[in-house]
Amino acid sequence: MAGSMMTQLTHLFSYYNLLLLLEGFAATFVLSAIGCLAGFVSGFVVAVLRITRSRAMAPVRIVVFAYCLVFRRVPFLVTLMLVFFATQSLNANLSTFSVALISVCLIASAYLGEIVRSGLESIHVNQWEAASTLNFSYLETLRYVIVPQAWRVIVPPTFGFFVMFIKDTALASQIGVMELTSAGKVLSNKGFSATLVYGAILVLYFLMSYPLSRFGKRMEKKLAATRNR
Amino acid sequence: MTLQFGPILEQWPYLLGGAWLSLQIAVLAFGFGMFIGLVCASILRYGPAFLRRVVRAYVTFATNTPQLVQIFFLFFGLPEIGVTLSPYTAVLIGATFNAGAYLCEIQRAGFESVRWAEIEAAEVLGFSTPQIVRHVIFPHVMKVMFPPLSNQFIVMTLGTSMASIFGVEELTGRTSNIASQTYLSVEAFSVAALMYIGITILATFALAMFGRHVCRAKIKVF
Repeated sequence: MAGSMMTQLTHLFSYYNLLLLLEGFAATFVLSAIGCLAGFVSGFVVAVLRITRSRAMAPVRIVVFAYCLVFRRVPFLVTLMLVFFATQSLNANLSTFSVALISVCLIASAYLGEIVRSGLESIHVNQWEAASTLNFSYLETLRYVIVPQAWRVIVPPTFGFFVMFIKDTALASQIGVMELTSAGKVLSNKGFSATLVYGAILVLYFLMSYPLSRFGKRMEKKLAATRNR
Repeated sequence: MTLQFGPILEQWPYLLGGAWLSLQIAVLAFGFGMFIGLVCASILRYGPAFLRRVVRAYVTFATNTPQLVQIFFLFFGLPEIGVTLSPYTAVLIGATFNAGAYLCEIQRAGFESVRWAEIEAAEVLGFSTPQIVRHVIFPHVMKVMFPPLSNQFIVMTLGTSMASIFGVEELTGRTSNIASQTYLSVEAFSVAALMYIGITILATFALAMFGRHVCRAKIKVF
């Protein structure tokens, strides 16, 4: 058993298999990186729209609220399937990778929108009032008063979400995106031992998400220290 | 493109059964996960250094690798050493393994929020250890832990959709069945999405009520 494992191990790390794993790793990385960055930017927009107060923005607020509600309460797999079949029936000729990318962005901006909003709302109303007394415009208030203070509330859960997100992209294998999990499936279909292959895949995921979660923990400590000043 | 919801809605008892199964998996995994988390969190607080290191390794590993691949590992890897799991058990074990780590972190943070001074004060007042646990630690810990716990339950309920990949016929699995029978994929999955939204909103409300009245946690539902 152990001997066959060793021979399999040397076969597993042959050139083409390594290339496959590397491609899968890159796809997972790109998928999560784009999802996180695009999601953070649009999540910020979502959050800013949600904390507006004016009556004219009420319909926008309702739409954005519903968007956050829906995409945070539908499983990632179902969102993937929905986007997949919806783009198919609209005859949009998209690759599975772009389908995954769309759903990833949709979900990330809903979750991060919620995270950023809770951060922005943690800043006391007095700050808004003080800024408007000093004749700051809405965007100036956000840029110079609110965001610098809300930052330390926003960052820790954002990193938590990023780590969760890398793991969620594994579900994209289900619609046929060639990422890390699918690479594992291909290799195990080639006849390699499933223990070995999925063990290797688990290690690769760990290598991707562990540095990020360590970095997040460090940021959290740093920000918490300044908060208690 | 015209949407036809009729044929999907005709099968609502089938879908509702799937939703019940999803909820069942989530509740079971949550229950077992709570137990594992409690043991691990106690070890982190009171256990010897060696066990603490083991628990920390477990938590780091489980929270940094995808649940899907963990279940793949269990489902396809374990038969090689002679342990064959049914899809349902594999999914349940995977979900429990994952939930245990997260719930350990939540409970650890909850325990840490109890200051030693509180326990010492209770000792001074003549409380016995079980009384301290019942009247000082438990109410405090539950109040702190309840919001992240209910959040984790919702996340896990959504996570059960993974079970469909292994052939467990819960809500997502049954939806794909209906989708492949009727060719109405978009409609079927929209109905499933709405059902998931309904389930999680109901669960949020129920948990919020429970938390407010039993644990006296301050919970905003939305």
